Amino acid sequence: MTTQFVSANHAAALAVTLAGRANRGARGFGGGIYPITPQTECIEFLCTQEFDKGSLVRVESEHSAMAVCMGYSLSGARSFTASSSNGLAYMTENVYAASFYRLPIVMMAVNRTLGPPWNIWVDHGDTLMLRDTGWIQLYCEDNQEVFDSILMAYRVAEDRRVLLPAMVCQDAFVLSHTMMQTEVAEQEQVDRFLPELDLPHRVTHEPVTVGGLDFPHETEAHRAQHHAALGRVFDVYAEAQDEFEAIFGRRPADPVVPYRMEDAEHVVVSMGTTASTVRTAVDEAREQGFKVGALRLRMFRPWPEELLARWLVGRERIAVLDRDISLGHGGVLWSELRGLAPRDTLVQNYMLGLGGGDIRPGHITEILEDLRTREASGAPALMEVGQ
Amino acid sequence: MHNTLEIRVHGRGGQGGVTCAKIVAAAYARLGKSAQTFGDYAGERSGAPVRAYTRIDDEPITNRNKVYTPDHLLVLDASLLGDDTLDGFAPGGLLLLNTPQPNASYGERFAAYRFATLDATSIARRHGIGTRSVVIVNTTLAGAYAKLAGISLEVLEATFAGLGVMSNFAAAQEAYEAVEVREPSLVGARAAVSVPLHNEREVGEIADHQSSPPTGLRTGSWSTQRPQYVENLAPCSAWCPAGNQVIEFIQAVARDGLDEAGRILGATQPLASVCGRVCPAPCMEGCNRKEYDGSVNIRGIERWIGDRVRLAPERVERRADAKRVAVIGGGPAGLSAAYELAKLGHAVTLYEGERELGGVLRTGIPVYRLPREVVDREIGAILDLGVEARCGEFLDATRTAAIAREHDATILATGLQELRPLDAPGAELAGIEQGIRFLHRVNLEGGARLSGHVVVLGGGNTAMDCARSALRAGASKVTVAYRRGEAEMPAIREEIEEAKHEGIELLVLRQPVAFHGDGRVTGVELAEVELGPPDDSGRRRPVVSARTSVLACDAVLLALGQSADTGFFPAGWELRDGRVYAGDEALTVFGAGDLATGDGTVTHAIGSGRRAAGLALAALGEDVEVFERPDRRCAVPVTDIRLDHFARAAMSPDRLLDVGTRVTSFDEVNLGMEHQHEVHRCFSCGHCTECDTCLVYCPEGIIRRGGPGYEVDYSYCKGCGICVEECPREAMRMSTL
Repeated sequence: MTTQFVSANHAAALAVTLAGRANRGARGFGGGIYPITPQTECIEFLCTQEFDKGSLVRVESEHSAMAVCMGYSLSGARSFTASSSNGLAYMTENVYAASFYRLPIVMMAVNRTLGPPWNIWVDHGDTLMLRDTGWIQLYCEDNQEVFDSILMAYRVAEDRRVLLPAMVCQDAFVLSHTMMQTEVAEQEQVDRFLPELDLPHRVTHEPVTVGGLDFPHETEAHRAQHHAALGRVFDVYAEAQDEFEAIFGRRPADPVVPYRMEDAEHVVVSMGTTASTVRTAVDEAREQGFKVGALRLRMFRPWPEELLARWLVGRERIAVLDRDISLGHGGVLWSELRGLAPRDTLVQNYMLGLGGGDIRPGHITEILEDLRTREASGAPALMEVGQ
Repeated sequence: MHNTLEIRVHGRGGQGGVTCAKIVAAAYARLGKSAQTFGDYAGERSGAPVRAYTRIDDEPITNRNKVYTPDHLLVLDASLLGDDTLDGFAPGGLLLLNTPQPNASYGERFAAYRFATLDATSIARRHGIGTRSVVIVNTTLAGAYAKLAGISLEVLEATFAGLGVMSNFAAAQEAYEAVEVREPSLVGARAAVSVPLHNEREVGEIADHQSSPPTGLRTGSWSTQRPQYVENLAPCSAWCPAGNQVIEFIQAVARDGLDEAGRILGATQPLASVCGRVCPAPCMEGCNRKEYDGSVNIRGIERWIGDRVRLAPERVERRADAKRVAVIGGGPAGLSAAYELAKLGHAVTLYEGERELGGVLRTGIPVYRLPREVVDREIGAILDLGVEARCGEFLDATRTAAIAREHDATILATGLQELRPLDAPGAELAGIEQGIRFLHRVNLEGGARLSGHVVVLGGGNTAMDCARSALRAGASKVTVAYRRGEAEMPAIREEIEEAKHEGIELLVLRQPVAFHGDGRVTGVELAEVELGPPDDSGRRRPVVSARTSVLACDAVLLALGQSADTGFFPAGWELRDGRVYAGDEALTVFGAGDLATGDGTVTHAIGSGRRAAGLALAALGEDVEVFERPDRRCAVPVTDIRLDHFARAAMSPDRLLDVGTRVTSFDEVNLGMEHQHEVHRCFSCGHCTECDTCLVYCPEGIIRRGGPGYEVDYSYCKGCGICVEECPREAMRMSTL
């Protein structure tokens, strides 16, 4: 294990390299790649890595990138790609296909605002657009978590009880391009953590048709299988956490991450790097005597309903921070979470940092004050944070 | 609360500010601190202000936002030092500035800070970091920062090695030792943070524009050169002996219509329909398209215009102080001179020995190449300008002297009347005739009849005209014998091809040495010729061998060349460089056309006549622009054309009458182009066509349509030169500021 000072893009690439090599005894590693800011330095770095078996295919579009991944994965290889924003939009048809084919592909998605007009900065709207694709979705807070999540994603996705693709999401620039110290595992450790992929429906020399016609009753069965598999993710994830801790000596975070929740009356719920900044504001509020806590949603799909509900029991007021907007409705996180809140709990939605606006502790402090002083919940609030 | 050290780096795109912040962070990381570093990423390109941020802490860092309250400021470019640079800066904070100015020169400014200066640019330049034009100062400044932050050289070296920038370490080490620092002498307060927590801008109505004002940084102030739209000489125009604005009339057909094209042609010459038929088209030799996919059919285009619109002005006001000018000789040179003078409002009298104006256009060039109605029409337009024609009198010296006396100026354009004879035994035999006389008979005297085998001696246009006319006049077979090779024949290429197509035989490398016959020619004795070493003209010298053979024939036409006949010159006149002198006295008498130059084509004659008209007027004190042939060497070379922008396309050929019909009549052989699509093949060398390539390729998006073509917003143009590089036709250039 070495500590390296790297960007989160490179942290992801380092993890993928180790995961890819770990499948060398089986069908190797491969994927289709197509660059898009801010994901580009991840795949550039990955292209400089050598694999004993397999390689990356540079294709002409995101749609093809996922198609190549599906080909690799169907043949039993460990597969990876990365994309962002409009690239994900263009890829979407095959994003669905990958999960309907039950292929344990891992994709790193750097959250970036959808255009036009073009904007390269962070916004969660792109991957939230894909929430119904049947993929596992993990959102990261820092460089180490990006590295760890790639390994965790493969471990969970390839589990026989799951067999689904997984998306590791990280914020554009504030995470993807920020360098921080990151613990990089040894190959031997990763080999132990990630068993060789044994895809039960791997195509071999027998020609087969994949994804033919589904009649209604078959589709019903497929959806039920798929839905149930996502439901098993929590247990598989928890096992993987234990295994990870045993091998690497640190424990990946839970699907829902609490902060100073012991006696918290007011709770701020957020995703991604916003949660870091929230912690600073929570500390300040605590110093002033307010009983404030925070929850970070690390896993968005499958939706950790029970965990969230447990954490929200008995809280008075909940602020849900969305770095996204479901136009004509409100924040996506809020819309999913508000149904979980206990009766008599005030739930208020704040959408901020859209299009990459720089969220500062001062913004969170204002939100906490608003939460504290308002008489009832209102319509989702759009907070402009400027530059 | 964490005790976080916050560092902000200010630089310009290209100086490496983000990497500078990274080096600093990596060095702290080596000291066991938690480090976080990131830059502003945006659409900024070279030169735009860029910020980068680093946080250092003993505890894990959680903040993910930008640095608003820096403890340390690194400024890579002194021109960035404004209020917003110091925004939120801590009292007693470290300010490290890249500047050639010594620390003391800042006086009390920054006295509340730990203020350090370094001429990082000079150090980096000395160590060759960056390019000659852009010095990259980030690593050098990081070296100075290490010293100020108490980071040892050993740690710095390990950091550089770890980041793979060891080649820059020597400069960093020099900076480490050179940086000057002044401790704070004033106690200050933290500067205010001017960035508001909330966006002050109101959201507008339903479809209002949401846009920022342009960046305050006028990047144009950084440029050392700028693009300009220019007009460069096109090879077709450069090669035209008549001085036609060739590229302009072609482009006018494409964009402005035939009337405008006719006006452009009429500005330089009155005989477009004629030239569009008989010109050897040097323009097409020079055309940059020639080696790509074949020259543009410029002659065809000229004919297209000349046959459809009037070139000459409808009428011209005679000037009250008009000069009286005599033009002697009604061929193309004289017509051109008369046209030029009449256009300018002068009184012109045109003298012609034959009964009608036209000279060689009427006497020499056969009607199947140049129908007489074409000649009549174009000459008629010249006469419409008020030119007085006096035909039917060949002048002698006395008469010429009288005319010169009666006029303010006189232009002599009598052509080449002297026919070169062949000094060979038997040359006096019947059936041997000068080709020019034969053509005169064919063209002016109601026709001529020939029969049997006719041999034409010579290789120029007259030879081709004789051969093809002979065929039409009844000859059963025609042979052209020429002393050099076919490639050396001076005749227009198309004429040679058409002649061969009509069945005329070429016999090259043959020199006539005698004629056989008893009273009437029955054969010509031809000696074989070998090509020796090159002569002064660069062509291989013909060497006549002793091997001869007799070619049986029924008639011989001599087309061996012509020379000037100055028999009508008054005593003492001498033509030198286009002007007539009596002894040392320069007369207001000028020569034009073949008489003066002997270039031998209609187009040369037109240019020469125009020039003589200008010279005459200038000699009379008129303020006129005398036509000068442009320098071909200044024309846009094909290497400056971006050929990738042009799809290959074959030339639109002229339509020709079928051979069977043409050899039995004097009907016009060449029917011209079928349509005017050919103009779109023109590259428009050196002439902007408003194709938008510059606009499309400008990486700054600051070229707009406007003015006569485009406008460049020079306040943002950094002089990258991409527009000039991409211009398909060399209509732009970079100029140094």
